[in-house]
Amino acid sequence: MPDATDFSLADFHLNDNPNVLEPPADYLEWISDPDVRQAFTFFEQQLLTAPRTRSEILSNLDRERRPIINLTSYNYLGLSTHPEVLQAARETLDRYGLSASGAPLVSGTFDLHVELARRLAEFKQKDDCLLFSSGYGGNLGALQGMMRKGDVIAMDERSHKSVIDGATLSGARKVFFAHNDPEDLAAQLEKHRDRRILVVLEGVYSMDGDLCRLPELADVADEYGAGIYIDEAHSTLMFGENGRGVAEHFGMEDRIGVSYGTLSKSFGGVGGFICANARLINYLKGYSSAWNFSCSPSPPVVGGLIKALEVATRDSTLRDRLWTNTEYFRSRLDSMGLDTGDCESQVIPLIIGPSGEKLFRYATAMQKRGLFLQPIDYPAVPAHRRRFRISMSSQLEEEDMDRALNIIEDVIVRDRD
Amino acid sequence: MTKEEVIEVIKRNIVENLDDVEADSIDATKSMKEYGANSLDMIEVVSTSMRELNIKIPRSELAELGNIDELADKFMEYINKG
Ligand SMILES: Cc1ncc(COP(=O)(O)O)c(C=O)c1O
Repeated sequence: MPDATDFSLADFHLNDNPNVLEPPADYLEWISDPDVRQAFTFFEQQLLTAPRTRSEILSNLDRERRPIINLTSYNYLGLSTHPEVLQAARETLDRYGLSASGAPLVSGTFDLHVELARRLAEFKQKDDCLLFSSGYGGNLGALQGMMRKGDVIAMDERSHKSVIDGATLSGARKVFFAHNDPEDLAAQLEKHRDRRILVVLEGVYSMDGDLCRLPELADVADEYGAGIYIDEAHSTLMFGENGRGVAEHFGMEDRIGVSYGTLSKSFGGVGGFICANARLINYLKGYSSAWNFSCSPSPPVVGGLIKALEVATRDSTLRDRLWTNTEYFRSRLDSMGLDTGDCESQVIPLIIGPSGEKLFRYATAMQKRGLFLQPIDYPAVPAHRRRFRISMSSQLEEEDMDRALNIIEDVIVRDRD
Repeated sequence: MTKEEVIEVIKRNIVENLDDVEADSIDATKSMKEYGANSLDMIEVVSTSMRELNIKIPRSELAELGNIDELADKFMEYINKG
């Protein structure tokens, strides 16, 4: 029998316990192994303040309250605590209360929701927009609403779970192409020429921080008459001259059929949205279940988000600062000879390699020194490319970055040398 | 259990999990991909086959396998270990 640490969450999906109210018997055995338990202590550590770059956690390692530099939260532009955003959220809270208390078609649509959707559609230069209460739910609802059994959804093999689950729910055939590989996409689509095809891409891939090769992939999609859906979860408000995302960065917005974004990352709130032509959005209102059968987003969140969009787009201050910080941090990591993969964005992977033991030893040591940088283990990433994923933020001061870099150097570089 | 029997188990699970594939048409020297399996389908075939064979192999050990025959060899290794 192999070691418990050879197993991962990838190995216990199938549950054959006759008692449906219990997990698989071997899962329980695995999860109580001391090494596995140690790795799991990194999950669900409690933040005790807002997810700013300086925050405080209740550490699961020793139950200590510990001030930390936070390089894990994806508060890229610091908008979740921006004073104007908070003021707008407070005012909406006072006026509308906490809940929309209804599904959007019936009674959950407020003037606020219409305004945010209109502004997002204008921003993305599409006719119309649909707001979802979660980012995950946005991909789920859009793909389920658009595609049917007999259709084909072609996805990059590194697609986010929300894309994969949406594709599954739609009943369409799921086809995965090799990461960012236009030739493989063409080879896959060749097998399905006669089908309705949607090609789903991500602006920035969330575990690697690289950009999709949009020009080449869009040419292939066009050749096969496929529609293009792009998930700009980690690129909206940051990429492109006006912050509209990776499609703007490549000057290709008119070739995108559906532009998806989440409201939880750069926007600093929670929720998701898609922008597309008015006819498709109209149709999805009847068929996208995650929209139609779920309560509209919470009013204070929507009020805050309207302001967040304004703050992030009235000038380029926040994203300029993000890119300055990212460049500084990346160049320092590079000069230490650390492996940051194919990173091209504010998501910086710090690749450790095949050893889970090292990954967790480093994570423990860094956290005890005051750096909150969470380990990303297999199966979220390939077993030979275990890593830390650094989320840069416009809020980081040079002093914070230097402290973080010192800790990384002491813990990781010293161990290597 | 013989390797031929293991291959039969894998083929049966391929037929159950994929559309339009017949057991007789499956060539074990090929990858499941050639029969239209995506990565999620392959996980399903491997999991249900392992359950039937009463073995448990970490997914991380299966990543490098290229075809059905190599998968059967891997399964045999664990069956023989008991
Ligand atoms: C690429 C991608 N799409 C969608 C989502 C879902 O967004 P949310 O976390 O806001 O539900 C995420 C993040 O989790 C993501 O990384």
